[in-house]
This record gives sequence, C-alpha cells and structure tokens, in this order.
Amino acid sequence: MTTQNATAAGHPASPPHLRAEGIHKRFGGVHALRGVDFEVSRGEVMALVGDNGAGKSTLMKILAGTCSTDAGTFRLDGRRVRIDNPNAATALGIQIVYQDLALCENLDVAANLSLGREPVKSGWTLLPRFLRPLDDLEMEDKAQKAINRLEVRTLKSVRAKVGGLSGGQRQAIAIARAVGAESSLVLLDEPTAALGIAQTRQVLDMVKRLRDTGHAVVYVSHNLRDVFEVADGICVLRQGGNVATWRAKETGPDEIVAAMTRGLDEGKARAA
Amino acid sequence: MRALRQTRFGAFVPVLLALAAIWLHFGLAVPLWEYWSDPDAESIRFVFFSPRNIYNLFMQSALVATLAVGITIVLLLGDIDLSVAATAGVCAALLGVLVLIGFPGWLACLMVMFAGIVMGAAQGVMIAYIGIPSFVVTLAGLLGYQGLMQKILPTGNLYIGDEFVRSIARALIPDIWGLLLAAALVALAAFAAWRRQARRRARGLELDANMAVWGQVAFFAVLVFAAVITMNNYRSLPLMILLLVALTALMGWVTTSTPFGRSIFAVGGNAESARRVGMNVKRIRVAAFGIVGLMAAIGGIFGASRYGSVSYTAFAGGSLLLESIGAAVIGGTSLFGGSGSVWNAILGALVIGSLGNGLDLSGASAADKLMFSGAILLLAVAIDALSRPQGGGR
Repeated sequence: MTTQNATAAGHPASPPHLRAEGIHKRFGGVHALRGVDFEVSRGEVMALVGDNGAGKSTLMKILAGTCSTDAGTFRLDGRRVRIDNPNAATALGIQIVYQDLALCENLDVAANLSLGREPVKSGWTLLPRFLRPLDDLEMEDKAQKAINRLEVRTLKSVRAKVGGLSGGQRQAIAIARAVGAESSLVLLDEPTAALGIAQTRQVLDMVKRLRDTGHAVVYVSHNLRDVFEVADGICVLRQGGNVATWRAKETGPDEIVAAMTRGLDEGKARAA
Repeated sequence: MRALRQTRFGAFVPVLLALAAIWLHFGLAVPLWEYWSDPDAESIRFVFFSPRNIYNLFMQSALVATLAVGITIVLLLGDIDLSVAATAGVCAALLGVLVLIGFPGWLACLMVMFAGIVMGAAQGVMIAYIGIPSFVVTLAGLLGYQGLMQKILPTGNLYIGDEFVRSIARALIPDIWGLLLAAALVALAAFAAWRRQARRRARGLELDANMAVWGQVAFFAVLVFAAVITMNNYRSLPLMILLLVALTALMGWVTTSTPFGRSIFAVGGNAESARRVGMNVKRIRVAAFGIVGLMAAIGGIFGASRYGSVSYTAFAGGSLLLESIGAAVIGGTSLFGGSGSVWNAILGALVIGSLGNGLDLSGASAADKLMFSGAILLLAVAIDALSRPQGGGR
C-alpha cells in the first residue's frame, strides 16, 4: 500500500470532505481498482491523473454511484456513508459532470439546469406531482442565478436552446447544473478535452470559482497544463493503484509524468 | 428559417406557410384559372373556400388529426407507432359490438378508451422493458390488430345506431355559444399573456417583445373567430371539432407544461441524460404509448361516429396510418425525437386534408392525390432534416 506516501504528501489543515479507502473493483477478470485510497477537502481542487486504464474513470463512476464497489469504505466529513446508486450520491451532495455532458440539446438552458427536479407551482394537489404545472418562471430565475454565480458572461439568455451553444458554454451549463443541486463535491471528467483555448480558460476559471465557494472538486484530465493551473493536489493512479498524492506547488510536470508512466519506483508501485 | 424556429411560435411557420400555399392554390388560383380559361363561365366559383367545404374539410381531417396528435407524442420520444390506425380500428369495432349487445353508449366509449390504453401500453412495455425497437413492435401490432379487427368484425362491416355515439359527430354547438366560446378563449389567451408578462417583469426576468406577444394573441383571435364564423355560416361549430381542440389543448398542456411532458422531451433529446438525472425512461415510454393508444381509441370513436358504421377498409389497409404519421411530420414534429408540438399535428392534418379535398374538387385522380401527398411529406421531412442544428450528432 502506498497510503503512507499519499498522506505524507501533506494536506491542508482542513480535514477531508470525502475519504475513500481501500476501493476494489473487478470487471470479470480485470482487477480495475486494487485498493485505491482517495480524499478531497472542501475548497480544494484534487486532480486525478493517470495513463489510460489507470482506473480514473472507474473511480469517478464509483464516487458518483453509477458503479458499485467490491470492497472499500467511504467517509463524508468523517461519517461512514454508502454510495450505492446515483441517487444516493446526489443525496450526499456528490454531483458528476460527465465528459459527454449529457445535456438535452432540444431544451433550453433553464430546462436543462433543472432537468429531473423541475419546480412545480404550488397548489394543484389533486394532481400527481408529474402532472402539476411547471413553474417555468422559478426555473428561469434559478437558472439565471446559477449562471450569474459562475459568471458565465458569454451566455445571452437562459432561454436559448442548448443545441445552439458553444462547447465552452455547454460545459459551463453542465457544471452549473451539478453545482445548482446543493452539491458539496463536484466530479469533473475531462472538462476541457474538447475545448479551444478561450473556452478552456472559461472552464478553468469556473473550476476555480467552485473551489472558492467551498466546493470540493475532483478534476480528471489528461492535460497536465490545465491540471497544474487549477489543482491544489494531484493524485496519480497507475494500473489500478495509488502511486502517490502531491501538493501541486511542490511538484512539476516531469515528476507527475514519470509517476504516471513508471510509478514512483518499480518496487513501491508494485507494493499494492 | 432556423432563427424563426427557435421561437415558441416559429415552429408553426413552415406548416402554416404550406397550408396557406395549398389554400391559396385551390381556393384562389384554380377558380381564377378556370374562369379565365373558360369563356362560357359566368362567374368565379370559389368552391374550396365555401363554408360548406371548409366545414367538411375540418370534419374529414378530424380523425387523422386525432391520431396524429397521439403519434406526435411518441415521435417526441424518438419512437414511432405504426399500429395506431389498426388500434383505432379495433377500438371502433369493439365499440360497435358493445353497443350492439346493449351497453349504453357512454359506457362503451369509456371501455373502448380503456382498451386503447391497454393496447398501446402493452406495446410500450415490449419496447421499453424487452428493448425491441418501436418500429418492429408496432409493425407487429399493425398486423396483429388488423387481424383482431377482422375477428371482431367477421363481416367487415357493422352499422352503429347508438344515439350517444352518433351524436358526437352530429351534435352542433349553437351559433351564439360558439361565438361566446371563441370570445372566452381569446380573452383567456390575452389574460394569460398579460399575466405572464407582468410576472416576468415583477421577477426581473427578460421580457418577450410586446409586439410578438400581442401579435400572437391577435393571430390566435383571428384564427379562432374565422373558424367559428365559417362553420356558423354553414351549420354550426360541430361538437367533434370542439372535443378535438379540447383534447389537443390537454395534450399540449401535458407535453409542454408538466414535469411528465418535460421528461418526454428530455428522453427524445437525450435519453442517457434523462436517465442520469433520475428519470424513469422506461415508465415514460410505456406512458407515452398508453397515451397513443388512448388517442387511437378516441379516433376510433370519432370515426365510428362520423361514418355511422365501422368498416374494415376505413381503418385498416394503411392510408389512414400513413396520413396520420404524415400529418404529424408535416406539422414539423421531428422524426429524430425531441421537437414538435401536438398543435402542429392538427395543422399537418389540415394540410393533408386540404390537399385531398382540393384535388378532389379539381377532379384529380386517386393516383395524383397519392403522389402529391408523397411530395409534401418528403418536403416536410427535408425541412426537418435541414433545420436540425448542425453537429447535432447524426
């Protein structure tokens, strides 16, 4: 195990918001995660990096509840919790933004932001909830606030169809949707992979604002430049196990790349 | 064009233009042409625009419109229902048999509507839970339900004499009540628009242009009053048309203004996204197919009431089915799912109905009618494909 190493890397004074310990996951014969430890605090951007097949996506899916674990424990603010399904994760304040964003292009921004939890007008108690009239003014109001909070300046109207927006704006809306839901932990899967320079800047600024508003952010990316720009901590996975966790200030791209490809040194990385 | 379709009202524009073109052609161009090319003609005869013809046009289009409203709902999901005409046929046949063996008309109608829901939802279950494509399931339904209809009607024909059933198509709203109803509707629309604007202003949300809002209300008023006055000029507003409009209003409200309707659009736009935000995609599919079944049953009742009989040929055989799907698509509902409106289905049904009616008046053959309908349908689908946002993942 490399836990000593990971914790020894030194965290800020605040205790971890989410702490996952000893996560194991097998897909048939493939041992995708072999006892991974991971933690992230509020007001911190923890980058999760690793080569293809290192287990980043699997760990993200497990944290988001879309994938079950074979073994391992989760603690949220020190309290033991179970993350068995997406709804459980949402209830705990964990939100994930997938790489493909999962937005409905045929709906407008406001509708996308409240998708699945649409506000309905009060009264109408004779009708089941799914047939009560939508409160679309409330929906627009909430959307406008979420957009303002994250300072998405380029978006002209919350009534614009998502299909007509740019990649950066879509990413911003997907993040706003995750944040809008009273979340404390936001998982971002390759948020800048498909974006141009200006849009990447926009999204990175947004990630920083998330951190500044006290969210815990997990940031998965291949792009080390982006990682070094936003991350406070960098957790390196390799072949389904931890390599180590660094403070971003105390390391450099060369060290991270070496850790991603070779492990710290062969002996330690194999210890798991 | 694309900018226009982004607005709430803009989706109506292509189908309204198509309707206007067809009406101008048959209503103005053809009579004028005949008048000028025929030296013996004494006066221009605007047969197409006569109140009598418009009345018949609405009644002829009502059955197709009812089915098209149902089909629109599954098209929104990105599915299709090929069995809708056959379902309507089974329901109509069942209705005939039920009143024949002595059930009161209203009870028979309710039973038939329930049967329609079951028939639709059963297909929905197979599509959602077993995972068979809707095209295949409803194709099987088309064949199976046609067979079922033959079983129920061995002779292929059944006269319906029940007063209640017949009155649906026969009953007329007295002239004055029709006008009052139209006035009430327009007042309601104006009040809703005014209140909406006031609330938006109070909340500090972006406002719609006043021109656009009141333009829409004015346009709506013109449409409603023109329709009612024209019908009054021949007979009166038929109850069946009123029922159709009420049903469409209900379906329009459910699809655009409730969480359930929003989930239909979400599934049609991105089913994976809908699943991830916790919507029960399977249950939504089944419910949507249940609604199509209900609309098909109501279509069957309308048809039985209007013809005064149920015949195998009126429902089975495909032309009713194709006209209904065509009406929904011509109305601008996307075959790719996620965009469209039930109101457009009614306009689409009017386009198909007007085309048939106009060609009949000008003495065209059945072959011409089929070819024209095909061309219009193709045009509508082409507009749909072209107006999809680029990079929409095809």
